[in-house]
Amino acid sequence: MNGTEPLVSVRNLKKEFPIRKGILSRQVGAVKAVNDVSFDVARGETLGVVGESGCGKTTTGRSILRLIEPTSGEIRFEGRDVRAMGTSELRALRREMQIIFQDPVSSLNPRMAVGAIIREGLTIHKLAEGAAADARVRQLLQEVGLRPEYSNRYPHEFSGGQRQRIGIARALSVEPKFIVCDEPVSALDVSVQAQVINLLEDLQRDHDLTYMFIAHDLSVVEHIADRVAVMYLGKIVELATVEDLYSTPLMPYTQALLSAVPVADPHARKERIILQGDVPSPANPPSGCVFHPRCHHPAKDAACAAIVPPLEEKTPGHFAACIKQPPTTVSWEQQKEAGGVHPPERYLPLAAVHA
Amino acid sequence: MPWQTQDFAAASGPTPQRESPLALSVRNILRKPSSRVALFVLGVIVLVGLLAPLIAPYNPAAQPDIVGLKDLPPSLAHPFGTDPYSRDVLSRVIYGARLSLMIGILATIVSLTLGVAYGAIAGYAGGILDAVMMRVLDAFLSIPRLLLLIGVLVAWPKLSIGALVVFLGLTGWFGLSRIVRGQVLALKHAEFVTAAQALGASRRRILWRHLLPNIVSPIVVAATLGVAHVIVLEAGLSYLGIGVPKPLASWGNIIQDGSDQFPTMWWMSLFPGLFMVLTVMTLNILAESLSDAYERRR
Repeated sequence: MNGTEPLVSVRNLKKEFPIRKGILSRQVGAVKAVNDVSFDVARGETLGVVGESGCGKTTTGRSILRLIEPTSGEIRFEGRDVRAMGTSELRALRREMQIIFQDPVSSLNPRMAVGAIIREGLTIHKLAEGAAADARVRQLLQEVGLRPEYSNRYPHEFSGGQRQRIGIARALSVEPKFIVCDEPVSALDVSVQAQVINLLEDLQRDHDLTYMFIAHDLSVVEHIADRVAVMYLGKIVELATVEDLYSTPLMPYTQALLSAVPVADPHARKERIILQGDVPSPANPPSGCVFHPRCHHPAKDAACAAIVPPLEEKTPGHFAACIKQPPTTVSWEQQKEAGGVHPPERYLPLAAVHA
Repeated sequence: MPWQTQDFAAASGPTPQRESPLALSVRNILRKPSSRVALFVLGVIVLVGLLAPLIAPYNPAAQPDIVGLKDLPPSLAHPFGTDPYSRDVLSRVIYGARLSLMIGILATIVSLTLGVAYGAIAGYAGGILDAVMMRVLDAFLSIPRLLLLIGVLVAWPKLSIGALVVFLGLTGWFGLSRIVRGQVLALKHAEFVTAAQALGASRRRILWRHLLPNIVSPIVVAATLGVAHVIVLEAGLSYLGIGVPKPLASWGNIIQDGSDQFPTMWWMSLFPGLFMVLTVMTLNILAESLSDAYERRR
């Protein structure tokens, strides 16, 4: 975006989890959790990542931080190759990239006082000691909206929203540039969700943070994200600015997702696109377009099952992986050769357009 | 954001109590009357052992009159009677408490160290190392502990108490390391561990600060049972004459001294036996309520 180098750049990221069977642990297959994913995150922006559970959002986020070792692909942070880093380089990188977790219960060590939890990053990276560290912990607590006196309490004494704030303070303690927010509000009550999201937005403004915001709730993402990537079965199927994605969703999967977002108007009569069947197993994904067995695009045909659709720019800044939404680089001749009978045709059901 | 700070303080401030999880579980344990009694009884026995030189009425090894004072039944002068060498059984039982408890605790410290280290490394490393370490453990576990000890002690008959403690400890960590390994395995993918990794924490730090503090409860339970087990084992070995060298007083030795004439001179074996049973029982009761408190918290 806007000509400058992206903060995080991911190219052809793949992560396969082997399936082993039998007494010899022979590998009989692989779950393709993340299957050839590429995207950039610009400095200061919030990239939303949405998709159903199991679509590879979390694996993608954790791979960037190398909390999970990817199978292949390239990850660059400020131009540096993250996958090639040795132990000491990686430790230094940990200061710049942080993560906020979904589960406010299991993400805090029950045996550590809140102050000790927040202080750990300061100790590891030798940022502050003694009284200076105490002061920094108090400041961080205040910054996330908790009272500084809470530092000698234990996690079990706090509510879910408060625990999430502690997790945010922990991530913030090392002054990172980039934070992967892994469904940070999914486990919270709706009223608390808004508070935590506002806090995240305030912190982003005050500290020039860049977020990768993983969620399965489209309305949450609409609020906080600048751009949104939609994932399905380990692939990014659509990537666009929030405005474009919610007003003109080009990928039939995104259309179905958006049609399912509830509207807070009792008189609104909204049609819904009901997807048929279940999400296929990522151990054995469908051929061609991974979404084709459930797709409702009127031009869907045999070509969809044969050709893997590239993630291509349909309108400036709006990427989608669908050979039936024009324009496409997969020519009609190629599609016919693969058994296509319906030429590409722009399809935008009213049900999918977000008000 | 000062408004937020106040907002939160007023709306959902947590209860003012400030207790560490450890203090909480200690309170949980003491809630049960049976464990309070057990703790009291055990406390008395430990105190008796600690203060043995002050409490014991006679020197436990003294044989004042091997002809006139031997085999005396319980009386005011000798509440637990005397043994075939005219030694005061009460004094010997008191000193026996000291020795038996000490052997139990020290041997358990040895096995605790080994078991926690072995189990934690296997569980945390995972993969092939874990598989190999566990198979080795299976091999160790397949040898009966008592048989192994008898073999060793018969081969080296004149072992010091220190060596005895080491051997008891060396043969007692297999089960514990299994427990530790399982717990570490279950915990190492917890999100707070991932969070520590993301902060750049070293493996050692994760093990010491994040994993081990969270498995203290099952370790303490296993250690408590371990002490009881070692006390019984030591008594058994001493009874067979290959444990604590005589004339030192351990509960097993005292029972052994009276074993020939048990039906007629019951006091020589009954009193040390009673003390041992009491100790082992209270240890088991405490271990059980510890494990209850631990289960409740989960």
